[in-house]
Amino acid sequence: MLEAFVLATMLFGFFGIIFKKNLVMKIISMDIMSTGVIAYYVLVASRDGLFTPIIAKANQVSYADPVPQAVILTAIVIGFSIQALMLVCVMKLAKDNPTLETSAIEENNTP
Amino acid sequence: MTISHNALALPIAWITLPFFIGFVIYLLPKLARLLALSIALLSAGYAAQIFLMGSPLNIQLLDNFGVTLIVDQLSGFFILTNALVTSAVILYCWQTGKKAFFYMQIVILHGSVNATFICADFISLYVALEVISIAAFLLISYPRTDRSIWVGLRYLFVSNTAMLFYLVGAVLVYKANNSFHFSGLLDSPPEAISLIFLGLLAKGGIFISGLWLPLTHSESQSPVSAMLSGVVVKAGVFPLVRLALMLEEIDPVVRFFGVCTALLGVGYAVFEQDTKRTLAFSTVSQLGFIMAAPVVGGFYALTHGLVKSALFLIAGVLPSRNFQELKERGIDPKIGITLIIASLSISGFPILAGFGSKVLTSKNFLPWQVIAMNIAALGTAICFAKFIFLPDPKLTFDRDARLKLEGETKKKISLGFWWAMVILLGGLFEVNAFYYEAYTLENTVKPLVTIAIGWLTYLLIFKKLVLKLPRAVEKFDHLIGIMSLMLILVFWMVRV
Repeated sequence: MLEAFVLATMLFGFFGIIFKKNLVMKIISMDIMSTGVIAYYVLVASRDGLFTPIIAKANQVSYADPVPQAVILTAIVIGFSIQALMLVCVMKLAKDNPTLETSAIEENNTP
Repeated sequence: MTISHNALALPIAWITLPFFIGFVIYLLPKLARLLALSIALLSAGYAAQIFLMGSPLNIQLLDNFGVTLIVDQLSGFFILTNALVTSAVILYCWQTGKKAFFYMQIVILHGSVNATFICADFISLYVALEVISIAAFLLISYPRTDRSIWVGLRYLFVSNTAMLFYLVGAVLVYKANNSFHFSGLLDSPPEAISLIFLGLLAKGGIFISGLWLPLTHSESQSPVSAMLSGVVVKAGVFPLVRLALMLEEIDPVVRFFGVCTALLGVGYAVFEQDTKRTLAFSTVSQLGFIMAAPVVGGFYALTHGLVKSALFLIAGVLPSRNFQELKERGIDPKIGITLIIASLSISGFPILAGFGSKVLTSKNFLPWQVIAMNIAALGTAICFAKFIFLPDPKLTFDRDARLKLEGETKKKISLGFWWAMVILLGGLFEVNAFYYEAYTLENTVKPLVTIAIGWLTYLLIFKKLVLKLPRAVEKFDHLIGIMSLMLILVFWMVRV
């Protein structure tokens, strides 16, 4: 069930990238898609348990898998820095293309 | 663990140094060029060490969740390509007044491309590929014009979307194996394989998912195009080659995409009227040759990297980008010679390394690949005939016209250009040593016949033909949409 929701998030994000006309909306769609991917990692990590994997004196409980969580942390940081770069680009492009319609920007900037 | 600490320290120091030096460059802008060049030379030295090492080096940091690295001959070829191309590009830019920021990005790009050539698990690969995206983006948009920013943004967008698919594939591999190591791919569900392939194919500019490549490579500045076409796309291709060699079941899929992209790229390239776009499409096609015979892909990647970056640098100093216009204006004979040498090598003419790599690759084709790859080789000969017949031989004897052209080009060409040519074209002669067995009579005949037929077809048909292929597929929305088609295609192939 949860898996289906996560996959739907990714799919909606992907369709947003294709069908949204505005460049900022496209970037937001990409963020939604990456949110889906991150959620999927978290979901995979919680296969065997939900507890935070920190050694403590508590009783034997089923821990979440720390590896996918650690990995996705890297991916989050990378994704966020890429998004920051993209938004800077959009700011620059907005000076000459105030509507930020992707097709218009594309037409102006392809030979 | 049998590996001593020294053997371990060297590759790790070598892989982290470029990132460290990259930031040092920004602090010491005066030393930028020198530091950047020494990093590239260091990589060349390390590649030489790999070739001397003999047996491959497997490194596993931490336990089975940790980073795994494999350093072997295949990596050696790719690293050597990266080192030579980077140093040529730095020398080319030596007197162009580029800022320290540019060299910083070159060094970081160089380091992250090297990282892809030795890593053996999906997450290290992911990180390396994403750093490549960012560094390449910053290099593409270095001129800060609207067009360069758009081209860079488009590149970053396409590659980041592809990498999101890749990430999902990576976690599916982990789910099945509890490890991200490459070898786990086989025990993973087919959707994992198709998602990972989609990411790598899009990143490497293969087949229809690589249609972002022509615009990006042709609209960047020449040194950046040289870097992108010479080494950066190979960061996407290398993991595919590595996977094909590690896992027998993956091999036919990689070979199949190699054939497809070789034909697709060459099909576009022969009709192209623009020099840099022809070169970019030819890159799409040449990557196919690397993948069509994974066993010897390393050597092909080396010769292609050298020749393609040389060609992009030459195209950058030509007075125009349109073939027709270039014909009318004429080319400085000295540049003409470099252009002819490079074009002959990529067509597979003996004496140059392109010949050896073509022979070696064609010996490793499977029977079903042979016809298609011969057509692709013929197509390559046709599109580079466009370059070979560009310089006008009469000009060499017409002193006045020659002096005028030389005067024109003097302004554009610095000493750095010639140093870059010495490295790249000299490299083309020298790397023959890797495969000197190619020089037998029967091996020599076939490429010569291919070239002869190619030139004849060019002179008879393609020289007069002006056909403009539609560029609609290169639109941004379609590039993203194509990914879903590729995903279905790979999924279907893996299932069968």
